[in-house]
Amino acid sequence: MISWFLHLPFLVVGILVAIGLYTVLFKNNLIKIIMGIAIIQNGVNLFLISLAYRKDGVAPIWTSAPDEFMVMPTPHALTLTSIVIGLATTALLLSFVMMIKRHYGTIDADKVRRCRE
Amino acid sequence: MFILVVLIITGITYLIYKMGNPAYKRTRFKGQPFISGNAPFKDPGRMHVGGDNLFWGFTNALKRYFDPLVKGHTGIVNDYVYWFIVTMAVILMYIYVTL
Amino acid sequence: MNFVEHAPTLILGLPLLFAFLIPLLGRISKDMRDILFLMGLLLTGLFVGIMAYEVLTVGGWTYVFGASTSEPTNPITSYFRITFVADGFSVLATLTIALVALGAGLFSFDYMAGHAALDKFYSLFLLTLAGVNGMVLTGDLFNLFVWFEVTSIASCGLIAFTNYRGKSVEAALKYMILSVLGGLFLLISIGLLYGQYGVVNYKLLSDGIAGSPGLFVNKLALGILLLVFGMKASTVPMHMWAPDAYSESPGPATPLIAITSLGSLFVLFRLTFGVYGVNMGPGVIGTILIILGVLSMFIGVSMALVQSDLKRLIAYLSVSQVGYMTMAVGVALTTWTAEGINGYGIMAMEGGLFHMINDGVYKALLFLAAIAVIHATGKRDLNELGGLAHKMPYTTVFFLLGALSIAGIPPLSGFSSKLLIYQSVYLYHPILAIIALVVSIVTLAVICKAFFNAFLGPDQGQTKGEVPKGMLIAMGLLTVVLIIFTLFPHYVVAEIVVPAIRALGVIP
Repeated sequence: MISWFLHLPFLVVGILVAIGLYTVLFKNNLIKIIMGIAIIQNGVNLFLISLAYRKDGVAPIWTSAPDEFMVMPTPHALTLTSIVIGLATTALLLSFVMMIKRHYGTIDADKVRRCRE
Repeated sequence: MFILVVLIITGITYLIYKMGNPAYKRTRFKGQPFISGNAPFKDPGRMHVGGDNLFWGFTNALKRYFDPLVKGHTGIVNDYVYWFIVTMAVILMYIYVTL
Repeated sequence: MNFVEHAPTLILGLPLLFAFLIPLLGRISKDMRDILFLMGLLLTGLFVGIMAYEVLTVGGWTYVFGASTSEPTNPITSYFRITFVADGFSVLATLTIALVALGAGLFSFDYMAGHAALDKFYSLFLLTLAGVNGMVLTGDLFNLFVWFEVTSIASCGLIAFTNYRGKSVEAALKYMILSVLGGLFLLISIGLLYGQYGVVNYKLLSDGIAGSPGLFVNKLALGILLLVFGMKASTVPMHMWAPDAYSESPGPATPLIAITSLGSLFVLFRLTFGVYGVNMGPGVIGTILIILGVLSMFIGVSMALVQSDLKRLIAYLSVSQVGYMTMAVGVALTTWTAEGINGYGIMAMEGGLFHMINDGVYKALLFLAAIAVIHATGKRDLNELGGLAHKMPYTTVFFLLGALSIAGIPPLSGFSSKLLIYQSVYLYHPILAIIALVVSIVTLAVICKAFFNAFLGPDQGQTKGEVPKGMLIAMGLLTVVLIIFTLFPHYVVAEIVVPAIRALGVIP
């Protein structure tokens, strides 16, 4: 019963990544594309966190730790890094969209294609 | 080896140079080059065949290859992501089957 | 303080330090800002040189952060720390990066002279440099992800630096969306590998994978890693960001963005050789790389033929050049057995890696010459350009040298590396060699189109004269390097390329 329950986060991860990919692939609004990317980002963060989880684990602090399971420390560090980087990239992407709106007058991905020639 | 080749080429060049008429004085050439007998254009820019005209014959003959290729590069960001995901799916499938 | 030992971290640290110093101290005066930028570039180049000398004469080492000595005294603790790898392969990669960055940096003084907020440009430039260096030097996947994102963000900032042009911002947005997605998939594969083996260090990971090569997790992570770095290296069909980003980025940033994609290719090779060992079916990985390489070569050069924008044309050519290296290393991978790569595989590897450093240099030269043309005339459409050789003799010579090298015309260095690739690939399958030769011929045609249109023909008075001296010096520097590679290809292969292959552990 419990072991089945532990797999649930990965199902949620799959759903989140699928929703995000669908948004990025099939939505034409640039803001929506960026929202899709943010959803994938959250899915990946959840994936890392649920990867690190150990049942009955304790916080991974070496000094005077009880002789028990510890949760894995590296995915937590990765997730923190990923959240920070995600914030930066999302802000940068949104500011790009702002400038594109100013130059092109539209944020429709089908029309933002002057690079093609 | 390389330097030897350079030396030989330089030598041959010098021999050809020596074979020239030493009496020739370096003068400013006043005549016009012969361009297929047509009257030269007033505007020098028009004498220059260039740009897309240069390989027109080649690209036009292979139109059936080039047209889909150029059309494939749509410049829509969704398509960029689409190709990324499709290639990923294909390669993962290939690895899963063969490895 | 022992500078030699700390060289790998200084290669990273110095560009980072100067990147943050320039906006701060650049407020004092413009000269100060320029001097700081030049100092950052030169010092980075100096430490790349020091590291190269040490590695090539004495031997490589692993730099461990936070350990009392940089030797991995206690493998258990040191492998959990951040590690940098200073070996022959890092030397090859950082040398390529440093050469191109130096050329592009010198070029930018005169090119960017009129721009506002130049301190930000220099800052982003050095951040990109630090990011690429970090990507190729790092010894664990965690760091790889961090430097991957640093490179993505900084290089997208560089592309969008001329934000008064809508097209620059558009190119940056497209590249950024792909990079962020790539970074997320990279994170997924890191998570998969860490969940299975509990380590992120390359060495320990490869030990773990060698113990259980058949796991599904390995295959999934391998496919994703191949794809992500293939995308960053602009292999077809994930190349579409490259022409946009190369053609719309402001002048001196273009070679640097090209070098980020070469750096990703270096990382890809390090991962396929270093992490996925010989047990994980190198034949399959090799086949995938060959297919990607052939597609890149062929489609890249075909698209270059129909371009009329000068920079976009060279961008597609660079996509096709990436194909050569991918194909050559793919061929080398197919010959990899437990004893190492053998027979023509060694030649393919030499050709592929020598082509990388070659390609970095002549592609940068070609881009810089094209940018000089655009700077002098204000035009970039080949239908409008013409007759520039009358007024810009030096740029013409530089462009011609780079162009002949990219087309692989015999005396130039592009030929020596391509010859190694042709010979070895012919032994794998003759069809591949024929494709490579055909692509080389079409490259020559493309280069003829660009050179004939822009430089030859009657003088149309499109430019007042030669570009400023600073740009000529930058192009001259790269030309000198190109000529050195041309004159002594065997020396470069023996002294730089072979140690790099040896560092991957595939030849004794």
